[in-house]
Amino acid sequence: MNRFECLPLLAEMLEEHTLTVTSLSSNARIWAGVWDRGPTFAGLNMGLCIGFALGLSLAFPHRKVVALESDGSMMEDTSVLISVADANPTNLVILVFDNESYARMGATATARGADLVRMAQGAGIRSTGLVRTLPEYERAVRDALAKPGPTFLQIKVEAETARVPDSRTTYGPAMKEQFLDRVLSHPDYRGWHGG
Amino acid sequence: MDKESTRIVVDGLKEAGIDLVVTLPEEPTHSVIDETRVDPYFTTVTVTAEGHGLALCAGAALGGRDCVFFTGVAGLLVGTWALAQVGMVYGAPFTIIASYRGDFSDRTGIPGSQLLMFRQVLEPQLNMLRIPYEIINDPAKLKRSIKGASVACREYGTPIALLLTGDFLS
Repeated sequence: MNRFECLPLLAEMLEEHTLTVTSLSSNARIWAGVWDRGPTFAGLNMGLCIGFALGLSLAFPHRKVVALESDGSMMEDTSVLISVADANPTNLVILVFDNESYARMGATATARGADLVRMAQGAGIRSTGLVRTLPEYERAVRDALAKPGPTFLQIKVEAETARVPDSRTTYGPAMKEQFLDRVLSHPDYRGWHGG
Repeated sequence: MDKESTRIVVDGLKEAGIDLVVTLPEEPTHSVIDETRVDPYFTTVTVTAEGHGLALCAGAALGGRDCVFFTGVAGLLVGTWALAQVGMVYGAPFTIIASYRGDFSDRTGIPGSQLLMFRQVLEPQLNMLRIPYEIINDPAKLKRSIKGASVACREYGTPIALLLTGDFLS
């Protein structure tokens, strides 16, 4: 199973106003090519993806927020799992695409036995799962989208062998402007109070 | 923080429309968190590390929810990486309220070498990260500053820090 199979399938499963957040690298690049509907904040740097998604889930409490995290970024700050469990946002779905490597720069600890699902469980997240095949993935994601969370799924994928090309809106100001345009027109947007 | 200052902060947050409070507990501001946690107006999230706490604020703020991050000098130093990302790269608009350890009137028992370090590094750090800040030592001015910061952070497109010192640290 690889991300080129998983992410288009995820795009098919999401309703149009779902909010998504991605980590750096392959998640951001592949997702930009397959999802062009709800607001997406893409390419957050190491250790920041899940925290950002947690904040977004508190701004849009009645809409699913899906974090597309990766194993290296997840392990940069695993304590975020405790904060997620403590805040308990029922609309947050965390998908950790675990290719057991830092891009093409060698193995991560998940290749040597680090168990992210048990870490999530230990942090207090009750809905968790490890998936290794595409049918398992589809079933687990559909379930996560249908039920109250927070949900944490560790998804074993093959390592990419080549760099996926960037689009204009993968990172930086163009990405942010597109995100804000979609947030402002989102049916659940409540706006800022403004003092 | 004494009872009166605590009330000023809580009222100031409400007047500014800030209803999401994010914190990693620290002594001077914990009385505020004790209040927001039992007040149904607020959602209060206690995080386990500054980096994802600041990322949380960025996600909420860019999603349209007014929020504040409570921390101290050490928390801002630990959160440098996240501040560089959510501030300099993405311009996330939220307010930071931090106790400014190291003021000459700080008699809280923290070793002097630590206080001196805080005094020496905090403001250069905020300047380096291009984060506007205001030092507040008069409780009477705080409510107006919270409201001003909550508007200015959106107009400027950046986090803004309010540094509490003097009487706030007692």
